[in-house]
Amino acid sequence: MATAYTPGLQVTDCMRYRARRVLPIAGDVLVAVGDRVGARDVVAKTELPGDATPINLANQLSLMPADVPECMLKQEGDRVEVGDVLARTKGIFGMFKAEYVSKVSGVIESVSHVTGQVIIRGESIPVEVRAFAAGEVVEVMPGEGVIVEADVSFVQGIFGIGGEAFGPIVMACQDHTQEFSADLIRDDMRGAIVIGGARMPGETIRRAIDFGVAAVISGGMDDSDLKDVLGYDLGVAVTGTERIGITVIITEGFGEIAMAQKTFALLASRAGAEAAVNGATQIRAGVLRPEIVIPVDAGTTDTSTHASTGTHIASVLEPGTSVRIIRDPYFGVIGTVAGLPSEPMVLGSGSKARVLEVACESGEKLTVPRANVEIIGG
Amino acid sequence: MTTLNPDQINVILATDCGSTTTKAILIEKIDGQYRQTHRGEAPTTVEQPVADVTAGVINAATEVGELAGRRLVNEQGQIIRPAKPASGGQPPEGCDIYISTSSAGGGLQMLVTGVVREMTAASAKRAALGAGAIVMDTIASNDRRKPHEQIQRIRELRPDMILMSGGTDGGTIEHVVEIAELIAPAKPQPRFGTGYRMPVIYAGNKEAAKFVAETFDDSVDLTVVENIRPVLERENLGPARDQIHDVFLEHVMAHAPGYDKLIDWTDAPIMPTPGAVGDILQQIAKARGINVVGVDIGGATTDVFSVFDGPEGEPVFNRTVSANLGMSYSISNVCAEAGMPSVLRWVHFDMDERELRNRVKNKMIRPTTIPQTLEALVFEQAVSREALRLAYIQHREFATTLKGVQQQRTVGDTFSQQKSGQSIVDNMKLDLLVASGGVLSHAPRMEQTASMLIDAFEPEGVTELAKDSIFMMPHLGVLASVHSRAALEVFEKDCLIYLGTCVAAKGRTKPGKQCFSYEISGSTLNERGEMSFGDVRLFPLGLGETARITVEPARGFDVGGGPGKRVEREVRGGTVGLILDARGRPLILPEDRAECRRTVKEWSESLRLYEGSGSPRRR
Amino acid sequence: MQTRVLSEQVSVLRREWGVGSGEWAVAGCRSAPLVSSTSHLIFQISNSWRGVTIFALVFVLTLGQAAAQEPPRPVSDLRAVDHPNDVGESVDLSWTISPDDDPEADPQLVSEYRVERMTASDSDAVDDPEFLHEKEFVDIAKVGADEATFTDKGLKRTRTYLYRVIAVGPGGESPVVETETAVGPAMDWFRTDRGWLAVIVLLICGAVTAFIVAAKSGRELYIRKIPGLEAVDEAVGRATEMGRSCVFISGIQDINDIQTVAGITVLSRVASLTAEYGARLEVPTARSLVMTTARETVEASYLAEGRPDAYRQDDIYYLTDEQFGYAAAVTGMITREKPAACFYMGTFYAESLLLAETANAVGAIQVAGTAEPAQLPFFVAACDYTLIGEEFFAASAYLSGEPVQLGSLRGQDVGKLLVAALLVIGCGAATWATVSGSPQASAIVTFLQDNVLGSGGFLP
Repeated sequence: MATAYTPGLQVTDCMRYRARRVLPIAGDVLVAVGDRVGARDVVAKTELPGDATPINLANQLSLMPADVPECMLKQEGDRVEVGDVLARTKGIFGMFKAEYVSKVSGVIESVSHVTGQVIIRGESIPVEVRAFAAGEVVEVMPGEGVIVEADVSFVQGIFGIGGEAFGPIVMACQDHTQEFSADLIRDDMRGAIVIGGARMPGETIRRAIDFGVAAVISGGMDDSDLKDVLGYDLGVAVTGTERIGITVIITEGFGEIAMAQKTFALLASRAGAEAAVNGATQIRAGVLRPEIVIPVDAGTTDTSTHASTGTHIASVLEPGTSVRIIRDPYFGVIGTVAGLPSEPMVLGSGSKARVLEVACESGEKLTVPRANVEIIGG
Repeated sequence: MTTLNPDQINVILATDCGSTTTKAILIEKIDGQYRQTHRGEAPTTVEQPVADVTAGVINAATEVGELAGRRLVNEQGQIIRPAKPASGGQPPEGCDIYISTSSAGGGLQMLVTGVVREMTAASAKRAALGAGAIVMDTIASNDRRKPHEQIQRIRELRPDMILMSGGTDGGTIEHVVEIAELIAPAKPQPRFGTGYRMPVIYAGNKEAAKFVAETFDDSVDLTVVENIRPVLERENLGPARDQIHDVFLEHVMAHAPGYDKLIDWTDAPIMPTPGAVGDILQQIAKARGINVVGVDIGGATTDVFSVFDGPEGEPVFNRTVSANLGMSYSISNVCAEAGMPSVLRWVHFDMDERELRNRVKNKMIRPTTIPQTLEALVFEQAVSREALRLAYIQHREFATTLKGVQQQRTVGDTFSQQKSGQSIVDNMKLDLLVASGGVLSHAPRMEQTASMLIDAFEPEGVTELAKDSIFMMPHLGVLASVHSRAALEVFEKDCLIYLGTCVAAKGRTKPGKQCFSYEISGSTLNERGEMSFGDVRLFPLGLGETARITVEPARGFDVGGGPGKRVEREVRGGTVGLILDARGRPLILPEDRAECRRTVKEWSESLRLYEGSGSPRRR
Repeated sequence: MQTRVLSEQVSVLRREWGVGSGEWAVAGCRSAPLVSSTSHLIFQISNSWRGVTIFALVFVLTLGQAAAQEPPRPVSDLRAVDHPNDVGESVDLSWTISPDDDPEADPQLVSEYRVERMTASDSDAVDDPEFLHEKEFVDIAKVGADEATFTDKGLKRTRTYLYRVIAVGPGGESPVVETETAVGPAMDWFRTDRGWLAVIVLLICGAVTAFIVAAKSGRELYIRKIPGLEAVDEAVGRATEMGRSCVFISGIQDINDIQTVAGITVLSRVASLTAEYGARLEVPTARSLVMTTARETVEASYLAEGRPDAYRQDDIYYLTDEQFGYAAAVTGMITREKPAACFYMGTFYAESLLLAETANAVGAIQVAGTAEPAQLPFFVAACDYTLIGEEFFAASAYLSGEPVQLGSLRGQDVGKLLVAALLVIGCGAATWATVSGSPQASAIVTFLQDNVLGSGGFLP
């Protein structure tokens, strides 16, 4: 077997990007098939049912639960404001009546005669879904959401934190190997998506948050900095809901590692363009990687390229393929496949595995397990 | 589904549809004995573009067929049944029964509810875990969350089904209905498909069933089964468990791509993979009359199964899933939960913590990589020890006797009032420890597997160690439900690879003091000597060999007969051999880093963990 | 009668022979007195001033059996010192008893000593009438024969005093012996005689303080789990699952009983749990004040758990003060309502077994706690869990989890450890001393008895 499948991350200067934008629960879709939408346009919205507050009236009014429904002054479906009398007991000979005054506002959802519990549903929470990619609505799933397609420059990161963010691309580093130090964050970067080069220290992220930067993207960062920024040690790579005031994406990995030349060049070539990024990462079955989506103008589109929703691409590994080694001791080394020995080899660890030979840029030839490389460039 | 005379079953095909790969094995009757003969695998095909699980099954079955020289799949892409011997130049074809398990799409995910967390909710959780589910959350009256928080939580989760319990028969109605009143407004959404209703199984106070039914509207599909805890003194998990399997097939599986076809093909109901593993371990424990612990460490989760004698002497099965303890997706969480120093204590050379932290995160974001250097391997195995240790702690805490039971006392109990809800997991009574999962099964040397098991589980007394050769236990679990003899025969002969036996003394003293003396007599191994506290020694005792060992523990040490009591036992050999462990229980490593490194190095040399591998080196 | 006759004769003798009191003393020292068994009294008199020793034999014949007697010789070596380790109210007097003071002698020549005091100065109030009154020697006490010490109490720190001691016998009074310098009582800051108490107090208080500080700084203090307390969770859980109530009985004594107070602490824990689980809690009380306290405690617990709506005041009620009226009411309630959990925490007497047995019969999990030794066996046999004596009081510390309470609990344990250690050492040494007669062992026993266990240490 001279070839093998191995995962890689997508870095494409132009492709047809298909964004599935759906509501968490059924709601209204605001656009129609064929509409042109901007990245920040709301395409669907709904209202999440508000918080339900249970009130045990049987205990509050010293009643048998079965008596609660007849003491209710408001019925199911009625609106209740703070201070409204919700229920009143019959009392003795019309005297000594006890009342319950509502402490929450909302709509009475149910009155139970078993538990004596009344559930008041609070104000509903509006939820809006934006288009994310500026493009064309190609499909509407009634009540659920839409699919937006756009021609974009597309970059997948390896790991990110924070949710969706929008802004113009601004380059901070001059070179993909330059460290993204804090002093490279400038005042005029407010609301921008700032691209760094190599490792990004925690200080840079903190400064970016202070300056109101929308997102920072760089090659790598230290785990200890991530812990500092998040305030806790991230255990499982399921992210996207953090609220730290910024979206952070790393494209290569943890540690001292430079952004891939190709990724850097692509982002640099689109400097100034409006982009959308999402830091949400989920490394589980059904992998989700952070995305950087930069719409390109119609006309320059080559629609025949990938129609991917942004998962792994599987490319063929063969001699000459550019690969990056993604495991110590050669983590981050970039080279080309020089050979694919078919017989498994005994590794330094003592285990047997199929390997490949990588010719590095430095001229050195390394032998590594096939599982430990990923295809870059393609 | 057909019922066959077990004696006429000669060829069995079994598949396990995992999240990424579908594994098929072929079991054939050879000279009157069932043996696993061939295996094959193919990528699982539940996602686009194929979106039909049977495609992967056919691919795997075809591969097995090719290897076995037997035609298993016909031109229509169906499994040929029954088996026919070779005739007229045609190769033999078909199989007598076909069975399957599934954990594709993340397995069976459930939400369970109960009244008191430690009582009915714990029983419900046990039923769900035993059926092979992943329990996403447990809602109970006393889970210290406010009702609106509970509603919020139910809303966020998208379980495959909900199991409700609570109240003894004739017990509380109010609490049970209260929980139902939380679920109803939360309107939980099933994970798959928008067109079907959330299945809810009610297994609580029978008198509350009609009120629960009143509470729900059409958005849920409620089924009522016997109470899981009819009285607090007794657990009745069977009916709820069976119902979970039924709902799993009817609803969850039926909505996964291609499963409707697969359900038709199989001769026994498809089981969730972990449920099947639990079944085979229960079978083996029952057949041999032993206590068993099984562990399956994966990339994201670690499952621990145990069968131990309960308070009345009957075997009790427990399963736990440690959701965030694993070797790739969850590796970072293991390091966070255990703490880096705890992981590093198992590493016998110096490592830079900052670099290690980055490496751990890189493994997390690129979960498929494998360690290339010995240094990386030692570190991964250190992480696995901690993952297994933490998973086992969780398991011990969960596997308890029933809580809420009235105690009978005499005046003699004045100063020894034992509380109920004690863990039934007792390492001294443990007879067999079975390992499976990548880091354990694929360790370059079996000694490493044995050492990881001993360090993490700390077995006491005499314990046999084994590993699942090719993760065959799920297949055998389903097979056990139709043909238990075949399942047990294959389990003993082909599934388990015996690593050997560990003899460990419980107790502690000062390093260098005598711990126990031993005398081993066997056909190939005859040794006698003394073990000092802190020593660990490995004796070769090959597969299939046995030896007789007599252990005379020092005062304060226990190897199964009681403190200081002599023990004589027959021990089984294996690919590793006989391990005598005088490191004491609980196993405590020196606090001082340098001292700890030296100790661990000594141990790894005695157990010949890294012999023949390159010495650790740095770039 | 005799005494006076004797003393008169001695006076006559003294006058005739011209011997002073100083010579008497010298003579007393030089030769042993010879006392006949009958009523003869021999005096050996010396006159060193003249270098001549005169012997005189005096035969005194009286009517009847009485013999004529001489007054006793005086005490010597009289000293007055400030009494140590006090606030300055006492002066210790000591002297060597009169040579004639022999308890074996019959008749005794000295029957008692008379102590007299005079105020020498007063820095505070010169015009104090009392002071003026004591311008001369006054009788302050009589001390029995053969005694050589006296502690004069109730003095003023501002004054100095002079003392004199006179031996009194049937033959009259001895010559007066007076202190040469005036002494004043002084206040002592420390009672050195109670040094061991200080050591013990410092050890225990130090331990308590140290543990409190440790607990506050976040160090985890290991407290042995009391199964009975842990079982409270289980019992309440059982009641919840079975849809039955929990019954809490805080003994039959009033709130001034320390056990009732401890019981109320446990009640607050039980109430928190019933609030959390949503179970019903019934508290029948035998005293009205206990009812009030219980209501407040339970309400506070429900409030703290965030379930004030679930608190039902009417479930905490007063029954009767009558011991058996109360027991009858509670057992009746238990048989009717069949609670699933019963708690007995407080002082119990004969009703203990009635209550516990009834609830056991209806299948309740029961947890008891009392410091009444007589009732403990009944509770142990009938209940699932029992907090025994000390455990019951330790419970509140354990329950609250407060640093102060936890620290105190641990500190007190150090005290108990100390006592236990002393007991073991003492018993061991005493046994060894008896068996082997080892002087070292006896020395240890004596030391312990006199110091650590004696008035210097534990004894009040």
